Amino acid sequence: MERIDQTQKDSNKMSTQDEVGSNKYWLSLEQWRNDPEFKKAAEDEFMTSPLSEDKNQGGWARREFLKLMGASMALTTFGCIRRPVQKIIPYVNRPEEIIPGFANYYSSSFVDGNEGFGLVVKTREGRPIKVEGLANHPANQGGLSARAHAHVLNLYDPDRATGPMVKKGNDFIEKKWDVLDDEIVAQLRKGKVAVLKSSSLSDTEDSLMDQFSKTFGAQIYSYDGADYSGITEAQQAAYGNKVMPRYRLEDADYILSLGADILGTYITPTDYNRQYAVRRKLNQSMNKLVVFEGLLSLTGSNADERHQVRPSEYKNVLLGLLHEIIVVGGNSSYARDEKVKKSLEAYANSSDTVKAVAHELWANKGKSLVLVGGVHAAQDKNLQIVAQFLNEVLGNDGKTIDAKNAPLKGFTGSVSQLAALKTKIENDNVTTLIIHGINPAYSVPKSFNFVDLLSKVESVIYTGDRVDETGALSSVLAPANHAMEDWGDAELISGVHSIQQPTIRPLYDTRGFQDSILTWATKAGNGELSNYSTWYEYLRAYWQNHQYAKNRGFGIAKGDFEEFWQGLLQEGVFVTSKTNLKSTSGSRAFNTTALTTAVSDLSSESISGSYELELYHTSGLREGTLANVSWLQEFPDPVTKICWDNYVTVSMKTAHDMHLEEGDFMKVTVGGESLTVPVHIQPGQEPHVLGLALGYGRTKAGKVANGVGVKASDLATFSNGKFNFAGLGAELAQVEGSTKLANMQGHHSMEGRQIVVEATLDQFKENPAANIHKHKIFSMWSEHKYAGHKWGMAIDLNSCTGCAACMIACQAENNITVVGKQYVTEGRIMHWIRLDRYYTGSPNDPGVVHMPVNCQHCENAPCESVCPVAATTHDDEGLNDMTYNRCVGTRYCANNCPYKVRRFNWFDYTGVEKPLNMAYNPEVTVRARGVMEKCTLCNNRIKQEKHLATNEGRILKDGDIQTACEQSCPTKAITFGDMNDKNSRVSIAKAEKRNYKLLEELNAVPSVSYLTKVRNTKNLKGHSGADHGQGGH
Amino acid sequence: MIKRAPLILGNKSLKDITDDICEMVETPPNGKFLALLGVSKLLFLFYIFIMGAIVWYGMGLMGVNSPVGWGTDIVTFVFWIGIGHAGTLISAVLFLFRQKWRTSIARTAEAMTVFAVMTAGLFPLLHTGRPWISYWLFPYPNQRGPLWVNFRSPLLWDVFAVSTYATVSIVFWYIGLVPDLATVRDRAKNKIRKAVYGALSLGWRGTARHWNHYEMVYMLLAGLATPLVLSVHSIVSFDFAVANLPGWHTTIFPPYFVAGAIFSGFGMVVTLMVIIREAVPKFKDYITMDHMENMNKIILTTGMLVGYAYGSEFFIAWYSGSKYEVFAFTNRAFGPYWWAYWTMVTCNVVIPQVFWFKAVRRSIPAMFVVSIFVNIGMWFERFVITVTSLHRDFLPSSWGMFHFTFYDLGAIFGSFGMFFTFFLIYTRVLPAISIAEVKPVLHVGYEEDDHE
Repeated sequence: MERIDQTQKDSNKMSTQDEVGSNKYWLSLEQWRNDPEFKKAAEDEFMTSPLSEDKNQGGWARREFLKLMGASMALTTFGCIRRPVQKIIPYVNRPEEIIPGFANYYSSSFVDGNEGFGLVVKTREGRPIKVEGLANHPANQGGLSARAHAHVLNLYDPDRATGPMVKKGNDFIEKKWDVLDDEIVAQLRKGKVAVLKSSSLSDTEDSLMDQFSKTFGAQIYSYDGADYSGITEAQQAAYGNKVMPRYRLEDADYILSLGADILGTYITPTDYNRQYAVRRKLNQSMNKLVVFEGLLSLTGSNADERHQVRPSEYKNVLLGLLHEIIVVGGNSSYARDEKVKKSLEAYANSSDTVKAVAHELWANKGKSLVLVGGVHAAQDKNLQIVAQFLNEVLGNDGKTIDAKNAPLKGFTGSVSQLAALKTKIENDNVTTLIIHGINPAYSVPKSFNFVDLLSKVESVIYTGDRVDETGALSSVLAPANHAMEDWGDAELISGVHSIQQPTIRPLYDTRGFQDSILTWATKAGNGELSNYSTWYEYLRAYWQNHQYAKNRGFGIAKGDFEEFWQGLLQEGVFVTSKTNLKSTSGSRAFNTTALTTAVSDLSSESISGSYELELYHTSGLREGTLANVSWLQEFPDPVTKICWDNYVTVSMKTAHDMHLEEGDFMKVTVGGESLTVPVHIQPGQEPHVLGLALGYGRTKAGKVANGVGVKASDLATFSNGKFNFAGLGAELAQVEGSTKLANMQGHHSMEGRQIVVEATLDQFKENPAANIHKHKIFSMWSEHKYAGHKWGMAIDLNSCTGCAACMIACQAENNITVVGKQYVTEGRIMHWIRLDRYYTGSPNDPGVVHMPVNCQHCENAPCESVCPVAATTHDDEGLNDMTYNRCVGTRYCANNCPYKVRRFNWFDYTGVEKPLNMAYNPEVTVRARGVMEKCTLCNNRIKQEKHLATNEGRILKDGDIQTACEQSCPTKAITFGDMNDKNSRVSIAKAEKRNYKLLEELNAVPSVSYLTKVRNTKNLKGHSGADHGQGGH
Repeated sequence: MIKRAPLILGNKSLKDITDDICEMVETPPNGKFLALLGVSKLLFLFYIFIMGAIVWYGMGLMGVNSPVGWGTDIVTFVFWIGIGHAGTLISAVLFLFRQKWRTSIARTAEAMTVFAVMTAGLFPLLHTGRPWISYWLFPYPNQRGPLWVNFRSPLLWDVFAVSTYATVSIVFWYIGLVPDLATVRDRAKNKIRKAVYGALSLGWRGTARHWNHYEMVYMLLAGLATPLVLSVHSIVSFDFAVANLPGWHTTIFPPYFVAGAIFSGFGMVVTLMVIIREAVPKFKDYITMDHMENMNKIILTTGMLVGYAYGSEFFIAWYSGSKYEVFAFTNRAFGPYWWAYWTMVTCNVVIPQVFWFKAVRRSIPAMFVVSIFVNIGMWFERFVITVTSLHRDFLPSSWGMFHFTFYDLGAIFGSFGMFFTFFLIYTRVLPAISIAEVKPVLHVGYEEDDHE
């Protein structure tokens, strides 16, 4: 502008100089004279237009018009350039490790309750978007649970607290950390400090807590929402050693579970799934799983033999087995122990079933494993002592049970510590209570009156990530970082040290719990801790002085510490030189007094009431800690297939007797407490038992979880120093009204169709293709040719336990939306891979089979031919592609899909609340409203690995590409690969005789195939495979 | 020799005919008509609101889900397309067969076809997830490659079938209107009417050459429209028959759908004719009881054809030996949607049997009731085919139910608002009976020496 102004000024100046004779150079006398007419002519000389002779003429001249038109065209097209309106700045100094568009993977770990996982965290542009199992981690060996996947979404939970807060009246007001720290230190200095926290799996954290205790004289108490103190206390009573044994299912030929849902929720189910499945692979001797239980659990659904007993009868079964083996059979060294024999006397009258099991157990001595579990039994010391004794008698201790070499770490929490804290508070010995890692106001059952205790404490400092049930009753909320935002470590198994790396800077003004502890202790003058300004420094120093120092020269500790640390961060796990995970550890001396005491205690227990209520954990929500993660709320229970609710499960008989319909409201009463819940009629449930899931009924968890279900723990009673989660004498009454439970599955019988093919082990040995009914298929057309790759998948139904971790892995990988309870009931669930569960045989005692179903990528895809706009087509590598952009949404493809795997975007599901959008995987399109979607066999991963191989100039190897479901599967039931490569794992799997295709007779030629399920039993319940009487030929 | 019954009653002169028919077009509507139109228009506006909401928020507002991907929209689409068939059958097929009784009802039946196809045509476009790009269903040169439609998809065949049908029907109907429009033009007393009808009548002067051309074109178009009666609903049935779903994948569908379409179409024609006869008493002389009886006979015949198809489906399902087929049909009759199935059978097969009795065939209230039942029954037939086949197919895990929502009901009833709004306006702006075609049959039944 300035320059223009200058020119104008100049021209003005010139015109003032236009006096007569002032022109230095002149062309004519007229010019020299400054003749007005000449001046006018000179002005117009170069400005006339052929179409606009007269300047005063109105309208636009041709040139002007063209000029303006050109300019406006330029302007409009300029407006079309998609340049952001806001200022953007490119990376001036790009972080070395971040390449936009490329994912970075960091080793880390995650502890869910006491179940630990080695993780690989996938980050994109600095934000974690997915976790994958760390393949070389002994705790999970690449497998992950659904909950571990949900851990990512928990990071981006919009309901998290954004900074420290202090309670004023009924409101929480924000406060700065430095101000708050001073206040807290002043409060802590008053003394009488107690800390209530979840079990610690970290020596580092424990040593820090020791320092903290020293500084403030604090007492530390541990309790877990999922409490397994019965086992550790039983170990102490029997062997004098408080330890959580590592159950080695891998080495067990015969597994007997009494209510222990080892494949669903018990202790470390992900690892158990893996170990169990190792022994289901048919190339080695197959294990046998026998389950006694009241409710139908995931483990029970997988059992080779399942017997229905009430939870209160577990002791009868266990002691009956002992009686059969010791007294009747006269087996084992205890057969000479009169004290033991006497205590078993009362359990002489066992059923034939128990006798048979006793016989089989003894036949498998040293190679068997007996587990008693369930939420109740896990903290029932006496039951655990008896079970441990049975293992002892069978010689399993030290073989399938490792409590010596490398037991599990953690599990330090117990009800007794909670009770001790209670006594202390009641005696006014607690002024300040710090609560970390547990939400006791929710997870401690109401009968314990924990909530009342909090009001007796002057100041409660809570480090939870939100103002939840406990947060609301606290004085200070000092929110800890999410595990993904913080450093940490965990010793999941003795000697197996994992590191937890932060993969994102804290999203909010939160601070790690350990950093808080460090800060408070330092401010209060702890000299030792003042050497460390952050928890990270402390952690590093601790590792240098301990794990590194003790293992110098071993593995990654060969070089200096910096090298060790680098190696640790890369590998994520360090197994110390002395760790022995494989070999047997030898037996220990069992204290039989513990047994006799336990037996007499158990004998005195009795129940009153028409029904026996058992409270249980679901594999999605478990104790309710991740309840606000929508993926888990919409994660159907592996057995009932219901999500978004808890419900009282009743047997077929109860439903028949009381004329109940699914979803009717029931009143369940235990003692003086009652809850109103909808009913679910559960085939295979013991007629006297009622089931109700814990983990629901959150009131302050956040938008997702609040008001979903009822808080079942209200019915748990507290007596003899333990909670009663099972064996609760209960009354059941129908009340007005009913609701529709969100059941993902529409029908539960295979209707005699060949869907899941099952065979007994004997049948399989005789004929590996047993029970598969092959159809004669002929076609007018020649087969499709695939020159390069031909992707396919094989799913081994014999390995698959139905844990459904693949569903959530797929959801995380593929940005699959959650639709909510209402739309699940309306049939609009979006999962790309689903777990179908069918019952076979009699509903009173059914067989159960599980089947993952994803898009089958048919070669003759029925969906492809009917799409009018060719939005779904086949690619030259055998994939059935879906072009979202082209999809108009006629839904014809979904109608014509025999497997019903296509999912439609009924509404606009893209607008998730911030910052949940950060969990989206940028490699997978977020689907718009009105388009169809379905499993792509992780096409994004295929493309990525292919590009990578091309860039590196190598040939793609089998196993380079893993689909998300395959990767997460703890049992390795899913195999993906190139069917054109005859040596690929998928080709080998498909070459097995028990390979079959779902709905083969339709000649859709799916690229996904299934392998028969084999049960180690004499007879299958109900029909096996196809009904041979009918069926097209 | 039996004397032919007159086709036009009341000893009309040629002028009477012109006056009678033009009266509707030339006199302002009475209150009753306006009230009827008002109700229809309100319903139409409601329909626009319903469809607008669905376009705005998504298909999720309707009851469709997985596994029932098609619901009310497709059911009602097939229903309306079926309705259209009677119009073409009357105006084209009966014309070719020289059925002179058709003349007085052909115009309105044809109009019904046009409006029914218009109503129907919207459904497949609006039932898509992204209706704003449903023009991608049409093959047209584009800059996306060019990317063409999938010619293997029955839905695409549908697009061609329905658009061809709509075009031919409209042209055929319009050509037939030309001489009458000229009549209205000639009788017009003000400038605007003269101009409008003048333009619409395409310069018709009634010369011999005009008549010659007109008759020729009319016959050719009738010939062109006749195969459409068979083809359109055959192709619509391919939407189902070509899919591999048990209950859909049957070869009987094309003839079964055509029979059903004619059946439902005649049901609708009877409904409309009864209404017109009541609304315009003068028309009773033109649309006589004989007309109504003829149509009722057709309803009886096609009803039994449809009933035969129902039975034959069951036989084939059993005979095929396919357990999926057997299940699909057992499930239809005795599954959770038994009520829909038996509503269909009752309305379509049982109730029309009353037309065996002449008294019933000639009773206006009786035929009105039956025709309504036929309409209901035929809607349910499509519901049964679409929904009951989808809701339980191959894998029992995916079985589900279809639930009507407010928007489903809105779409069904609202579409009637659209249809009747157009239809009522039509009766006031165009001659509802073909003047030019009625006049030549005036003599039928009056002349002694009609047949030597």
